[in-house]
Amino acid sequence: MLLKKVKIRLSILLTLSVLSVLAIFLLFKVLEDNVLYFYSPSEIKNSDDINLKKKIRIGGMVKKGSIQSNERDIKFIVTDLKNEIIVSYSGTVPALFAEGKGVVAEGNLKDKKFFIAKRILAKHDENYMPPEAKQSLNKDAK
Amino acid sequence: MIKYLNPSYVFKISGKLLNLFKTLLIPLVAIGLIFSLFLSPEDYIQGDSVRIMYIHVPSAWISLFGFAAISFFCILNFLFKLKNVTLIYKSLAPIGLTFNIVAIVTGSLWGQPTWGTWWAWDARLTSMLVLMFFYIAFIFSYKFIKSPDRSIKACTLISVLGLINIIIIKYSVEWWSTLHQPSSISLAKETTVHFSMLIPLGLMVFALFMYVAVIFLMKYRIETIRIKRKGFKKL
Amino acid sequence: MNFEFFIMNGFGIYVWSAFAFTFIVCLFLYIRTRKTLKKLEKDFIKEANNLSEDQFEDIKNQKIAKEILISHSRS
Repeated sequence: MLLKKVKIRLSILLTLSVLSVLAIFLLFKVLEDNVLYFYSPSEIKNSDDINLKKKIRIGGMVKKGSIQSNERDIKFIVTDLKNEIIVSYSGTVPALFAEGKGVVAEGNLKDKKFFIAKRILAKHDENYMPPEAKQSLNKDAK
Repeated sequence: MIKYLNPSYVFKISGKLLNLFKTLLIPLVAIGLIFSLFLSPEDYIQGDSVRIMYIHVPSAWISLFGFAAISFFCILNFLFKLKNVTLIYKSLAPIGLTFNIVAIVTGSLWGQPTWGTWWAWDARLTSMLVLMFFYIAFIFSYKFIKSPDRSIKACTLISVLGLINIIIIKYSVEWWSTLHQPSSISLAKETTVHFSMLIPLGLMVFALFMYVAVIFLMKYRIETIRIKRKGFKKL
Repeated sequence: MNFEFFIMNGFGIYVWSAFAFTFIVCLFLYIRTRKTLKKLEKDFIKEANNLSEDQFEDIKNQKIAKEILISHSRS
C-alpha cells in the first residue's frame, strides 16, 4: 500500500536527518578551534595552553587613541571591552583600519598581552549608512 | 485544485507568465541599476564599495532560497514519488548554482577593498563554498546517474546534508567568530541598513528574483518539451 | 565626461567589475537558455510534422503539444 511505503520512506528520511545532524555536530566539536576565525583577548587570557609558535588570529576593536605609528611599525591595542592585547605590526594596513573599528590580526603571541602581527585585516560591522546619517547620529550622541 | 496541478494547465500558464515577466524584466533591472549605481549614497566607512552589496546580498539570498526549494521538492519526490516535481528542481538548480558563484565572486571583490583580503577561511565563507559543492553534486546526481531510483536517493541525501549546511550558513556569523559581519537584515531584529540604502537593495532583490523567475520558466518549458519529445519515439 | 564618478574614489574597479561580472553571467545564462528553448521547440515541430496523419492528430489532441505548436507559430 502507498501509505505504508510513504511511512517507511519518511522514517528513512528522519533517521538520515538525525544521523547527519549528529555527525556534523561531532565534526564541528572536533574542529572547534579551526571553525573560530579569531580569538578575542578574553579567550586568550582564559586559555591554559598558549602555543607561542603557532600562527593564530586575534580580533576585537581597535582601542580609541591607542594607535602609535612611526616609520618602522605601528602599535595599537585590540580590546573586547574586558581584556586587551597590544599588537605590533610592520607593513601597510587596510584602508578601513581605524580606531574604534573592528580588526583581525594574524601572527604570533609573544605572551598573553603582546602580539606580533604578520597581517592585518579590517573587520566591517553590520551597519550601513551614508555619511550624513552618521553625522546626525554623532550629534544626537553628544 | 486539481486543475492547477495539471501539467498541461501549468505549461499553458508558464508561457503566459514568461511573456509577462520578460517585459517587466528590463525596466526592473534598469531601475535597480540606476538606484544602486547612481542615486544611492556612499557608505560612511566603505565609501562606494557598498554598492557591491546590492548584488551580493540578493545573490546570496537566491542561492540559499534556491537550495532550500530544490531540497524541499526533492524530498517531496522521495516521499511521495511525484514525478512532476523533478521538473521544478531540475529547472531551479542551475540558477541557484549561478547565483552562488555570483555571491562568492562579488563578495570577494568587496572583501579586497574592505577587509584587505580576497578570501578568508572563516565559517561563513567556507560554508558558502561548501554550498557550491552541494549544488554541483546535486546537479551531477540527476544528470549523470542513469537509474531514476538511485538518482533520487542521491539527490535526497545531498538535500538533507545541504539543508543542514544552509542552517550553518545562516547562523555561522552568530555561533562562531568570523571575518564576515553579522546579518544586517533579519526578521528577528531591527535592520541596520539605512533607509536610503534599503531602496536600491529592495529594487535589486526584486529585479534579480524576476530574472530568476524568467530563467526558471524557460527551463521548465525546456524540461517539459524534452519529456514530450520522448513520447514521439514511443509512437 | 565625469571620470571621477567611474573611479569612485578608487573603489570603481571593484564595483564595476562586480557589476560587470554579474551582468555577463546573467546575460550568458539567459541567451543559452533561450537558445535551447527555441531549438527544442523547432525540433519538436519538425518531428511532429514528420509523423503520419493519424499520429499527428494524436499529438494535436495533447494539450501541451498543442500549446507548443501554437506558441511557436506565433513568434
